[in-house]
Amino acid sequence: MLGFGNFNAQDCSGPTRRSFIKTAAAVPFTIGSTSQVLEAAQAAQKSGRVKSVILLWLWGGPSHVDTFDPKPDAPMEYRGPFGTIPTRTPGMHFTELLPKMAARSNKYTVIRSNVTTNGGHPGAGTVGLTGFEENAGPIQPNFGSIVAKHRGSAEALPPFFYVGRGIPRDLPRRIEGYGGGTLGKAYDPFLVSANERGQVSIPQLDLLDGMSPKRIQNRKKMLEQLDLAERRLDAAGIEQWHRTHQSAYGLLADPAARKAFDLTQESDKTRGKYGQTTFGQGCLLARRLAEARVPYIQVNWSEYVETFSPNCDFGWDTHIFNFELLQDRHCPILDRAYSALIDDLDERGLLDDTLLLAMGEFGRTPKISNRAAREHHQHCYFSIWAGGGIEPGRCIGESDAKGERPITRPITPLHVGTTIAELCGVGAKERAEMKVLDGGSVIHELI
Amino acid sequence: MEEASFMSSYNLLKLLLFSLGVSLQGGETRLSFDGNNKRDPLFIQNGEVLVYSYDEREDLIRAVRVDMADVKAGPTPIFDDGRSHQTEIAYSPDGRWASYSECTGNLTGKLVIRDMDAKKQFEIKHGGRGAYRTPAFSPDGKRVIYAFAETGPMQLWSVNLEGKDKKQLTETEGLTHWPSFTPDGKRIAYANSRENNYEIYIRDLDSGEEKRLTKNRLMDIRPRLSPDGQRICFVSTRDGNYEIYVMDVDGGRVQRITRNEERDDFPSWHPNGRQLVYASERDGSVDIYLVDVELPQEVSSK
Repeated sequence: MLGFGNFNAQDCSGPTRRSFIKTAAAVPFTIGSTSQVLEAAQAAQKSGRVKSVILLWLWGGPSHVDTFDPKPDAPMEYRGPFGTIPTRTPGMHFTELLPKMAARSNKYTVIRSNVTTNGGHPGAGTVGLTGFEENAGPIQPNFGSIVAKHRGSAEALPPFFYVGRGIPRDLPRRIEGYGGGTLGKAYDPFLVSANERGQVSIPQLDLLDGMSPKRIQNRKKMLEQLDLAERRLDAAGIEQWHRTHQSAYGLLADPAARKAFDLTQESDKTRGKYGQTTFGQGCLLARRLAEARVPYIQVNWSEYVETFSPNCDFGWDTHIFNFELLQDRHCPILDRAYSALIDDLDERGLLDDTLLLAMGEFGRTPKISNRAAREHHQHCYFSIWAGGGIEPGRCIGESDAKGERPITRPITPLHVGTTIAELCGVGAKERAEMKVLDGGSVIHELI
Repeated sequence: MEEASFMSSYNLLKLLLFSLGVSLQGGETRLSFDGNNKRDPLFIQNGEVLVYSYDEREDLIRAVRVDMADVKAGPTPIFDDGRSHQTEIAYSPDGRWASYSECTGNLTGKLVIRDMDAKKQFEIKHGGRGAYRTPAFSPDGKRVIYAFAETGPMQLWSVNLEGKDKKQLTETEGLTHWPSFTPDGKRIAYANSRENNYEIYIRDLDSGEEKRLTKNRLMDIRPRLSPDGQRICFVSTRDGNYEIYVMDVDGGRVQRITRNEERDDFPSWHPNGRQLVYASERDGSVDIYLVDVELPQEVSSK
């Protein structure tokens, strides 16, 4: 028996390392030696089916009932103002705000029975990205950090990227579960952003006093600059800095790595398909990073949850203007960018081994508020899964007639994280060794 | 005589735009060029100035103006404040007053009525933290009508130019938005969602009598009365995505104006009554376009 410590982990279907060992032991005279078979099995298990994960993090809590789980027969005080349209998935309707995604539902599967334990943004953000509450402590690692530790870097590129303006937050504070957590700051995400015109910025390289790849002429000068930057850091920042140092050097010194960030390599037509928005161009950048085999890319819809506040970048937290902003802004942007991304991945043959997941930290109250909007709702929301072995064209899980609670098995963030990990080859043994995703199980219905 | 005047200004506008090198294709003219997200275009000053709101930054929607005599010069901000979102700007018929929805704090929206000459402004006060939307001036320029949710459904309200003498105009289920006056000020068109999706209605302000103008399982929104009060432009998703349509004021003779595979939205009339200005997404970029509209007698019956 392989010992998994005190972690109650569960594998998804398919050959696990354990089953490979059993098979290899039972059939010793197959092609190659037992050790070769074991090595191959270990390599396959380490990589998993999924080479890259792209998580579209719809920060702020998108309204599930106004998007992917409409309730047109609910009472007036619940149902929204939008009509519904059929999708390519039999029996599944979306609101009329998402026509492009509806026309592509044969490429992905929707879960309508997600639940979480926290009703506030930073807390729910941490739960949604780590599987665990902040106050249970210590802060658990982001799903991306787990995959990053397991996989390591792809060439010169860091293994875990955040694409967006900053670490997700609300006005009072940022979330705790954004990065490495118990695995250490070395597994924090590497932040990169693209503006609506596709100009890419890498804030962590700001430490290099504005040095750009074009100005880096030789390794000696580069290292001098990196050492200078390191001296400016306090001790607490050193661990992070060493990783940034390595990543920065890799990014600046490796032409292939730099190329991954160059959206001008894309045709105007391709860039246009994603839309002239920060989220759209961020999705395009994510596709390029997946193409470069970066293991985990989290595209943040916004830095702030606040949807209509000065200096905030229009998150999904629609306490006011819920119906108006979904109609005028959020859904058209998401509909376009998601559709372009899944088409692009599909056409380039990347969808088979790239997992594309879209979700927020919770849904919104099915009952319309007294300011004609919707509040936080942790008891029911959606997630959208594509690629990486997910069987597409289905709707898994069902909510009740008003969209208030699941009437099928509730899917938790821990289920989500464990499923991501399994698909990336982070099996039960590896999770136990890392002491992550304790008690998690896979969403078998997806596979 | 009036028709001749409209035709004259219409042809002059086309000549002016052509001389400026602005593209004219299929009766359509492009009026902005940066491609950023845009909304709420509106002609003021007899068509000499175009105003709209656009994403100046990823965290700022700003109201801007474009001088039609120099479209290529691009937009300039209407207000000095570069911190607050400014959307859905409306102007009084004489151009002196503006009203718009503004966000100045977290989840805090307000409706501003601003005297552009005296540079003073008034705010409308309601209980609760609801959102103010879609202001419109009455044709006599004395009142502003707008949408606000005070205790639940979004209703239409009316105030004077100082934001006082508040009156509730509708008391219906669902959300009510986008009021637009007939030129005589006696009726308003608007959209309401009580029939499971947005439909367009017209209401007599004295009697309160309401007539439903559209009947469609998908949204019909943003009605705007034409300058002569005979037609209404609006947006509908009935043909698969956001397209712009025109119908008679009684709901008859529906005419589809746009046939773009992407989104066409936020229409409003040019003062000449023969063109619509709107925001259109083309290859992922959003810009403002001006399109010709056939006169009623030129339109075949629906």
